[in-house]
Amino acid sequence: MKFKALSGGERGEGFLWISRVAVFLSVFLLFFPQASPTRITSLIGKNVSLFTSAVSYTSLTSEMGRALSKGWLSYFSVICLYVGAIIMLLGIISSVVAACTSLGNLKLKRLGAPFGLGGSIGVSAGLALIFIAYLQVSETSRPEKVEPMFPAGYFVYLVLGFLMLVSAVAIMIILPKAEKEEKYYMEPKYKLFLMFLPFAMLCFVFAYLPLYGWRYAFFDYSAGGTLSAENFVGFKWFTMLFENDATKADIVRVLRNTLVMSGLGIATSWLPMAFAIFLNEIKVGWFKRIVQTFTTIPNFISWVLVYAIALAIFSTDGFINTAFGGNTNYLMGNSFIWLKMLAWGTWKGIGWSAIIYIAGISGIDQQLYEAATVDGAGRFQKMWHVTVPGLLPTYFVMLLMSVANVLSNGMDQYFVFQNAQNTSTIQVLDLYVYTLGITKGNIPLSTVIGMVKSVVSVVLLFGANGISKAIRGESIV
Amino acid sequence: MAKTKQEKLDAKAEKKYYRYHKKKTRITFGDIAFNVFDYGFFGLFTILCFFPFYFLFINTISNNDLVQKGQITFFPKGLNIDNYIAMLHVSDLGNAFLVSIARTILGTAVMVLATAFVGYLVTKKEMWGRKFWYRFLVITMYFNAGTIPWFLNMSMLGLTNNFLAYIIPGIVAPYNIILVKTYIESIPGELEESALIDGAGFFTVWRKIIFPLSKPILATIAIFGAVGHWNSFTDSLILMQSAPEFFTLQHRLYIYLNTSSNLAQVMSTGGSSASNAAASMMNQKVLKYTISMVTVIPILIVYPFMNRYFEKGIMLGAVKG
Repeated sequence: MKFKALSGGERGEGFLWISRVAVFLSVFLLFFPQASPTRITSLIGKNVSLFTSAVSYTSLTSEMGRALSKGWLSYFSVICLYVGAIIMLLGIISSVVAACTSLGNLKLKRLGAPFGLGGSIGVSAGLALIFIAYLQVSETSRPEKVEPMFPAGYFVYLVLGFLMLVSAVAIMIILPKAEKEEKYYMEPKYKLFLMFLPFAMLCFVFAYLPLYGWRYAFFDYSAGGTLSAENFVGFKWFTMLFENDATKADIVRVLRNTLVMSGLGIATSWLPMAFAIFLNEIKVGWFKRIVQTFTTIPNFISWVLVYAIALAIFSTDGFINTAFGGNTNYLMGNSFIWLKMLAWGTWKGIGWSAIIYIAGISGIDQQLYEAATVDGAGRFQKMWHVTVPGLLPTYFVMLLMSVANVLSNGMDQYFVFQNAQNTSTIQVLDLYVYTLGITKGNIPLSTVIGMVKSVVSVVLLFGANGISKAIRGESIV
Repeated sequence: MAKTKQEKLDAKAEKKYYRYHKKKTRITFGDIAFNVFDYGFFGLFTILCFFPFYFLFINTISNNDLVQKGQITFFPKGLNIDNYIAMLHVSDLGNAFLVSIARTILGTAVMVLATAFVGYLVTKKEMWGRKFWYRFLVITMYFNAGTIPWFLNMSMLGLTNNFLAYIIPGIVAPYNIILVKTYIESIPGELEESALIDGAGFFTVWRKIIFPLSKPILATIAIFGAVGHWNSFTDSLILMQSAPEFFTLQHRLYIYLNTSSNLAQVMSTGGSSASNAAASMMNQKVLKYTISMVTVIPILIVYPFMNRYFEKGIMLGAVKG
């Protein structure tokens, strides 16, 4: 059956390949604003891809409000554009179905062929609608405001749509009728792959596609602006990190905060292990359980809640001041911020981090303890010479991971504890990137910093992994 | 019967062992000091972890005037639950609560189903390009493009100011996929093979055999996912900038912690006159405490039931393959 399935489909194989490639490209380009056929006026944001145009009317029209109300643009043409984008998206989806079935036997291919035809007609119809919208837009009364343009992406999709249409028609004609008794069949390897495909797409869209945003690092871009040859600035933002005094001072300060806080974290990374070892010395079962339960809770509340607790305990009208008298707000001010942050981090995380060591202790061979007892080792000697060495491999892995994460302390904790007085010492890299990019809108510079951070982090991680491999013969990633 | 040489030696060794054992059980001063320190330390630290929640709680159920004067420190006075009832009238809080509940339930359900399925698919050696696709997923754990490109990407996808932004990006969770894959690989393959030979499709095998068998690991990742969703704050902060109706409870709490309005102002729209009267008695401090409690109570309620899964989870993480 398998053999027959292949030979039956061979006649249209060339066209099938053309349509598969065209469909793949049209799906891929869906997410790239540069390849969008919908950008027929400069009033459509430079960050709007074909996908955006089809799924989000608000993003498509976000900058058109004034033009629409003044009548420079007619609602009809915008709706035309929007509907065109939707029909294109649906057409592409239909073509994807056809491309998927084309991996099966003849009967499946025949099943999918009409979808391919319908899909390519849909793409063509969508392109036609967009062209109508363009014709209308180009007749606007205020061309200097609306700036009608014919997007390059239109030609790309025109070519792809043409290829899809031709190959779909050819497939419809060429593919022989399947025999009546033939059953739908697809080889398991393709079946499994097709089941996996939607998730691969999601992964691509949310994890790989953002990398394309790194291009902002090379442009002089402000929100809503454009990326084009005129504002291509090369490595300006990179050199600015080193040459602009204000920026340089900021970076040095933020790096200092980041490294100090990560360094404190690394310097105290043995605490959870000590916690576990000492907890193990508690022989009263219920007490041990209570301790473990309550010390783990803080790990499961958010940093916002930690801040809420900090307010309740340390603010001017908090517990400390009401119970012991006084009128100090311990949360304001700039003193000992690093240590305070370390303390909160430890309070939140130590019970949880200790669990892995507690489990590690129960995994240590009891005979080692018995042997140590026979050899006359006391309590502390057993802790030091049996338990600690037993936990060291785990500790080593944790240590390497925290070294690899030295630049990523996250922003939640520092964001919530940040206030006007302590910004200069609390701001870590992640928080700085957020403030610079989202709050102040300096997208290129914050992208550059994020980029450098990502690259350094990956290098550190693989460095740590290399060390681990060399020393323990095991990798950590 | 005379003892053999070996038995004599054994008896001797046993005696020696007990002698040491006895020595060990004798309580020394060092032992006492250590125990006092050890129990004392852990007792104190436990209180340190528990007391803040207790303190918040007694302040929300006490008389609001006493709270304002700072007279509630260790024990509640003038018990009442009016503050919690007043919370029902804060419309944006109720809304945020619903958003958080919805994203926690929906997001976790979708993530667990997808992870269970993908975890199964990547164990199938027959899959076209399995190794490549598995790496394609796993590699994403080790890099990210950064906050700003991520944000721009989300806005390009139309996922800003959109509730789906909480759900869709979390569907594919590589770390959880690794955990599920490792778990499924430990399930004996015969069950699946016999079903496949009987003519069941991959999806049927997954639904009828693999999914039920991997429930323990799915429960673990579900709980971690749910806690993550409930506590999530930055995505609301960054992505929902002009859609306050989609702020999560954590985000709302943050806003309340940083404003100095009392409940009467918060409730200026809507609410009956009786509740307004109750609200005016409620000062800013109580408001903050009560909202904090509302945010933390769901975690505290589920925590005891989930404890064992939490611990299982971290151990699974330690042996990832």
